[in-house]
Amino acid sequence: MLDDPIAKLLEDISAQDRAAFRALYSASSAKLMGVLLRILGQRSEAEDALQEVFTRVWLRAGRFDATKGRGMTWMIAIARNLAIDRLRSRQPTTSDDETLAALVDSAPGVESRLVAAGEARRISDCFATLEPDRAAAVRGAYLDGQSYGDLAARHDVPLNTMRTWLRRSLLKLKECMEA
Amino acid sequence: MTDTVIPISPEDEDDLLAAEFVLGVLSLPDRARAEARLRQDDSFAARVSAWEIHLEGLNDDYAEVAAPDLMPAIEARLFPKAETRQGGWRGNWFAGALGLGLATLSAVVLAAFLLLNPAAPGFTAILTAEASDLRYEARVEGENITLVQLAGAATEPGKVRELWMIIGDAAPISLGLLTAQSVTLAAIGPADGVVLAISLEPAGGSTTGAPTGPVLVVGTLSTT
Repeated sequence: MLDDPIAKLLEDISAQDRAAFRALYSASSAKLMGVLLRILGQRSEAEDALQEVFTRVWLRAGRFDATKGRGMTWMIAIARNLAIDRLRSRQPTTSDDETLAALVDSAPGVESRLVAAGEARRISDCFATLEPDRAAAVRGAYLDGQSYGDLAARHDVPLNTMRTWLRRSLLKLKECMEA
Repeated sequence: MTDTVIPISPEDEDDLLAAEFVLGVLSLPDRARAEARLRQDDSFAARVSAWEIHLEGLNDDYAEVAAPDLMPAIEARLFPKAETRQGGWRGNWFAGALGLGLATLSAVVLAAFLLLNPAAPGFTAILTAEASDLRYEARVEGENITLVQLAGAATEPGKVRELWMIIGDAAPISLGLLTAQSVTLAAIGPADGVVLAISLEPAGGSTTGAPTGPVLVVGTLSTT
């Protein structure tokens, strides 16, 4: 945690330290605002979402585990989840239920072997193993919050093709990052 | 690269769903299902965390954008003056009134004091639960109460969310079903300190006159 000041602040916040909460806002609000603005696209909505993100951070700080990842990664995940939920809520929902319904019902697998902080440093090397347009689709999905439907339209391919592309790309990324 | 179909093991399927959730490509209903599973299935939650870490290198692409100082508004949400007494917001009094499901909510209630329109008398509440992203705003104006879903997943198919009002120690009173993102219902009686709760019920709503499903979110009305 020595090299992760955000993690230290989160630990203090889990002990109800309001001064640490203000320090966290100073240290991280610009980055989180960048995330929210990029996904939501509207300044007023991003500012409203930023308030909600910090509300959640205060309430959930006790669940952050510095042994499993960096503080900023954890906060950005909260911001992205909120922004993507809001984005999907305002779009007409295109159902991609068919294949996924089965997945949700499948039995829990063995404990994931993936968890290891710092493992992701090779992401850019691993992106290089993907075809450029497929790497672009993965990046676009992550950074801009694009849905399968958005990506299919942007890359001018059927939705199922996009899903196949992306899932294959994700398997390749996983294979590369675990190698 | 070819796009021939390759067999995918159940572990890979779980991992792909976790990756798709982290990427954000799922539709709202599928996100809702993944989020629900995330809360119940530690193995799946570990896969989601792993993908968040796998992809964290992409976070460098998010530019910093200066944000205004929103801390006063955030602190007003989290630490409302009337609720800062020791134990004030963490009390168990409403758990007794509802008598189900609330233990799992960790009993976190945010009473929000929205100062947007001080001229109009009325009451508002923000309904939340710690373990959930679900969030509703309730606004009472005259004899109407309007519920707006601010965040969280849509209701799963075959279910409906039902709004309940709890006054003191009395049994919950159903105010109606929340069938859209924004719903206005008739409600005589909502006032300062009244507890609102939303439960998950079978399609058509509770048939017993009392909540039968899990309580999703809770909030307390306060004056605007």
